[in-house]
Amino acid sequence: MGVKRIYEEYQRPILGLISLIGLVAVWEFTVTYVIEFNPFFFTKPSHIATATKELLLGDRLWRDLAISSRAFLWGFTTAVIVGIPMGAVMGWRTRVEYTLDPFFTALYASPLVALAPLIILIFGVGLTGKAVLVFLLAVFPFIFNTYTGVKSTDQLLINVVRAFGGKERHLYVNVILPSTLPFIVAGARLAIGRGIVGVIVGEFYAASEGIGFAIAHFGDTYRLPEMFVGIIILSIIAVLLTEALRKFELIIAPYRAEMETR
Amino acid sequence: MTGVVNFYRERESHILGIGFIVLFLVVWEIIPLWVSLPRGVSLFFTTPSKIAAKFYQLMAAGTIQEHFYVSAWEFVVGLGLSIAVGLPFGLILGRSRTMDALLDPYVTALNATPRLVWLPLLIIWFGIGIWSKIMIVFLGAVFPLLINTYAGVKNVDRVLINMVRSFGAREWHVMKIVVLPYSVPYIVAGLRLAIGRAVLGVVVGEFFGATKGLGAMMAIAASAFQVDVVFVGVAIFMGISLIFTLTVKKIESNLTRWRPEQVKTF
Amino acid sequence: MVPYIRAQNVNLTFRPKNRDPVTALQGLSLEVGRGEFLSLVGPSGCGKSTFLNVLLGLLRPDQGEIHLDGKKISGPGYERAMVFQEFGLLPWRTVLANVELGMELKGVPASIRRERASELINLVGLTGFEHHYPHELSGGMKQRVGLARALATDPEVLLMDEPFAALDAQTRDLMQAELLQIWDRTKKTVIFVTHSIEEAAYLSDRVVVVTSRPGRAKKLIDIKLPRPRDYEMRLTPEFNDIKATIWNSLKDELISRGIGDGR
Ligand SMILES: Nc1ncnc2c1ncn2[C@@H]1O[C@H](COP(=O)(O)OP(=O)(O)O)[C@@H](O)[C@H]1O
Ligand SMILES: [Mg+2]
Repeated sequence: MGVKRIYEEYQRPILGLISLIGLVAVWEFTVTYVIEFNPFFFTKPSHIATATKELLLGDRLWRDLAISSRAFLWGFTTAVIVGIPMGAVMGWRTRVEYTLDPFFTALYASPLVALAPLIILIFGVGLTGKAVLVFLLAVFPFIFNTYTGVKSTDQLLINVVRAFGGKERHLYVNVILPSTLPFIVAGARLAIGRGIVGVIVGEFYAASEGIGFAIAHFGDTYRLPEMFVGIIILSIIAVLLTEALRKFELIIAPYRAEMETR
Repeated sequence: MTGVVNFYRERESHILGIGFIVLFLVVWEIIPLWVSLPRGVSLFFTTPSKIAAKFYQLMAAGTIQEHFYVSAWEFVVGLGLSIAVGLPFGLILGRSRTMDALLDPYVTALNATPRLVWLPLLIIWFGIGIWSKIMIVFLGAVFPLLINTYAGVKNVDRVLINMVRSFGAREWHVMKIVVLPYSVPYIVAGLRLAIGRAVLGVVVGEFFGATKGLGAMMAIAASAFQVDVVFVGVAIFMGISLIFTLTVKKIESNLTRWRPEQVKTF
Repeated sequence: MVPYIRAQNVNLTFRPKNRDPVTALQGLSLEVGRGEFLSLVGPSGCGKSTFLNVLLGLLRPDQGEIHLDGKKISGPGYERAMVFQEFGLLPWRTVLANVELGMELKGVPASIRRERASELINLVGLTGFEHHYPHELSGGMKQRVGLARALATDPEVLLMDEPFAALDAQTRDLMQAELLQIWDRTKKTVIFVTHSIEEAAYLSDRVVVVTSRPGRAKKLIDIKLPRPRDYEMRLTPEFNDIKATIWNSLKDELISRGIGDGR
């Protein structure tokens, strides 16, 4: 009874774990005993594990991560500082909305990474170039989600607050902010993904350091286990960040669970 | 006079929106006439008219067409593959709890991480030709499709499923009569995202180690400081993405004929 | 005489994941005659929908069984059809295609399907709306479609789960009158779940009061009003007496559960 009950409660994570362990085991077994592989083209879990240990103990990887994070943080923070007010103004003032919406929509719909070569050309391969790229990719989710959030604030609620003699300040604090915040957090989740794209593209394209450079470099030198380590670490960071934001979304707006879109 | 005011009032949103874009282009065009740019900047500077001229020139020489075919091919094959894989998997994961639990770690991890990090590996496996690009397009586009199909399936109205079951429908009929039609708006929304990711995959895929395709054209031009060629590429990708987005939006709004409330996807 | 439908000692417990089990039905026994119009009233959450779903064959009881015309119910079948509270119309299908659905699954050829669907659309008074989509219809019209769809497979038994609960009071009165007419013409056996004592009293041959959860038949009340019934009948003292009888039996169940609590 006990075991069965536990299984039923945690069926999802248990099955997920089983499938991960299963994959690793089958992969290791197959390439060790069944099919021989060319180490330039393929690798196996035990080699990745060794590489992980080496990289984690060395300091090169940490430096790469720090360098990428700095570019990311600069670009992302600027995107927050610029994007949220911009979106709020667009949502609050119709004329501003009319003026900027088509322009921003066109930019948001187009693959702005296409600008990467130009931006690297102008701002260089260092911190600035990458940060600008991150900013450019991450700012639009903030603009559009804040804008949507402000616009979709329930007019009825606004009227209720006004009817009870609420001041503008009350409106902002009690109605508009709470109903916009979930949208902003959802925007942040999108922006994280796009921001990482910015860093990676910048570092793939032209760089001599950073996690993206490391992955590309390991690839160029056919060091597959190390490359997998880079990819896995980046995945873990990305998953942690997005899942944390998703949890946060549920906390600040449990009633908005239906906004769930990955 | 009131005629002019009314004309403006009725079209205010269009006038302001288009006006801003025109203003932006005009200012961009006349900046070099106003201020003399320092040498370092003027090297990277171009104007809309120069870009247009370059576009015309490249079209006339057939350069754009040549690159465009390669990019289009990668886009079509990659997106096709992602539809062929994403839809069935979305349906299966939506209907089977066990499959969902087993595959969830991979879907979550792969979806949270930009698929571009796999590019170096794909280049090792598939070479620098078009197949590594097709695979990166596929990887980028498959998850929005899979996840949106999944969301559609998960959101299906229980009452409708019970209703068709009460007429003796089997799982296959439930899929065909309720689940699939119900998911269509979600799938189309997923398609809109997938197209964006596919274009992204084409662009970035071609930046690295390719000689053919619009992305390659831009990367090569950038290293030769041909800024106007880079902008020609940007403009083409922008135009294509806008056309796609507007088309799919149009399809989406047609679908809502039987479904007044909008499907929410970001 | 063997009753047409016979439920014996039906028990059903839901065992949702990560939550405590809920016993929805316990020891529910009930007999229904052929052609009878029977209503179930009871506090919300007492298991009425669950019982209808068992009758429909979508849920299997843990214990006890239900026989229909001497045969055990073990799954959905064309001799039974349900009219759902939330209508259950496919939003992407027109009225006509929605009515055809049951026949489609039954394998009725397309031409016959179309003809019969048109007849039924006429019967429920929706002629002219064949090519409308559900969202273009009012609540009353949607439920007419639901009724037509249920009748289309020519079932012996109509199961109706609070079919008029989502309608406004006037539409509701109208639908009740029409349902009685259709019932009179088609001679179906009807099992009708409702919250409204008035509705139950007006429509039924017999009203069953169901206990608060776990649900069980508490009291059977015969409604000996003559048929055909009309609206004026609701204003008579006899009608009020019947309502009072049902109310008195139901009251205790509502109190034991706490009025207003329930899903
Ligand atoms: N699928 C289910 N899983 C768990 N509990 C259920 C399920 N369906 C119904 N219940 C519970 O069973 C009880 C009876 O439900 P129902 O038959 O719908 O009541 P009602 O008489 O209002 O129609 C309720 O407490 C309800 O919460
Ligand atoms: Mg119910």
